[in-house]
Amino acid sequence: MDSTARKSEPLLRVEGLSLSYQRGDGRLSVLEQIEFEVEEREFLALVGPSGCGKTTLLKLIAGLEQPTAGQIHLAGNPVKRPSRSVGFVFQEPTLMDWRTVEANVTLPLELNGGNRKRAREEAQTLLDLVRLTGFEDAYPAQLSGGMAQRVALARALVHDPQLLLLDEPFGALDALTRERMGRELLRIWQARRKTVVMVTHSVPEAVLLADRVLVLGPRPASIIAEVPVDLPRPRTAEMRETPACSQVARRVRDALEQVDLH
Amino acid sequence: MSREQLTRIGLALISFGVFLGLWQAVVRLGGYPAFILPPPQAVAQRLVSLVASGTLWRHVQVTLKEILAGLALGAVTATVLGYLLAHSPLAERLLAPYIVASQSVPTVAIAPLLVIWFGTGILSKILVCALIVFFPILVNTVVGVRSVSQDLRDLMRTLQADRWQMIWMLEVPAALPTLLAGLKVGATLAVIGAVVGEFVASDRGVGYLLKQGQQLYDTPLVFVGIATLVVMAQALYGIVALAERGLLRWQKH
Ligand SMILES: Nc1ncnc2c1ncn2[C@@H]1O[C@H](COP(=O)(O)OP(=O)(O)O)[C@@H](O)[C@H]1O
Ligand SMILES: [Mg+2]
Repeated sequence: MDSTARKSEPLLRVEGLSLSYQRGDGRLSVLEQIEFEVEEREFLALVGPSGCGKTTLLKLIAGLEQPTAGQIHLAGNPVKRPSRSVGFVFQEPTLMDWRTVEANVTLPLELNGGNRKRAREEAQTLLDLVRLTGFEDAYPAQLSGGMAQRVALARALVHDPQLLLLDEPFGALDALTRERMGRELLRIWQARRKTVVMVTHSVPEAVLLADRVLVLGPRPASIIAEVPVDLPRPRTAEMRETPACSQVARRVRDALEQVDLH
Repeated sequence: MSREQLTRIGLALISFGVFLGLWQAVVRLGGYPAFILPPPQAVAQRLVSLVASGTLWRHVQVTLKEILAGLALGAVTATVLGYLLAHSPLAERLLAPYIVASQSVPTVAIAPLLVIWFGTGILSKILVCALIVFFPILVNTVVGVRSVSQDLRDLMRTLQADRWQMIWMLEVPAALPTLLAGLKVGATLAVIGAVVGEFVASDRGVGYLLKQGQQLYDTPLVFVGIATLVVMAQALYGIVALAERGLLRWQKH
């Protein structure tokens, strides 16, 4: 076989993924035959109605839950259990209230028994990146929602995972903060170039950040549309006003509206 | 010392003075004999003589030992069992009915049984203490461990934390506010447990002093005993509260 003709192995490959839960005497089917791939350094956005199974899908990719059928491969290896090759950011800022900002960010390294001094240096670099320099010794209770999510993002990046999973990371924030955080994430991603799968409710956010948007249908969720975002990089927040961007957003919205009609 | 603290101490002294004055007035106006209601000076004299002879300290030491050992035993078993119950729905379903039912049995009623089984020495008192602090600490442990956020658990799992890291770096600190609240309640209950045990059968301890005072109509002695217990309970509560302040500094900002 000609190896040059073959596409290189994608970083993430999801095949025939289905999941159903036991519920009472019946079964609740949450995901049905999900299939997609994510290339290395790609930014993929997932949108879909709430309760359709987006969080569940991310947890499956992270190995936190087991599928009823199908397979997930990360960097060629089947995902069977949680692994440190993913960084996870939850919808709620999931920080440890009893740890300082810096200690929250070093947690992934501490769990691995790494060198403390190195860990603190790494944390410093990331806190600089998410613009929280000077907040090292603050406790989470002192932070705003947006700041807490930036700490969570720094923590998800500190052990340099291959894949970053973001579950509606700005969903709990007010509209203005949310927009600012979208721009921040764009800047951070352009600096780090991680492979990202992000769940979001915001179509403009998805279009601004992602290379590709997958639209999921209502539960049991399957992929009902795939919208490539052919906007040049590096992107800026101003691009949102361009016709090309509106066009992509329109396509995503159309797909979502079809979902509502079902 | 800050102004606020000085004001607080001043107020406490004033209210204590008023209390002594009222007490004195009741004794005077009512004309009660000392074995019914002794005047404050009589109690103070008794206290001084008991302290000077070392008698009070000897008995306090015994009761303190019972309290601390009982509290430690009860707290450790309750925390371990509470942790298991919080994690195993099966264990909870099997054991919860017994644990709840056991709560309707007054500990005072079990104390004589413990004396029969474990003798009139210190062991039976330690067990009464342990028994009485067990339930509130158990309940707080279950509530505390159950309150740990699922997202934080998932986070620890994606970071491949092992079981010990899960316990020491997540569950213990997350449940600590609830655990310490249970320990505070337990600390005061333990004092009651020790005295109950000593009432049933003993030849030393503050509870024994109280019983002596009653039998000899040495009412000042009874008052000294009561005051000693109040101070012990307050001190224990204060120590836990202080530990709480130090350990949970992250809470208030
Ligand atoms: N452990 C579980 N047991 C039973 N049902 C679950 C479980 N986890 C999620 N679900 C159900 O799966 C559906 C999808 O949930 P979720 O993935 O959180 O949706 P989304 O993130 O898209 O809003 C919901 O209806 C939810 O009730
Ligand atoms: Mg969700």
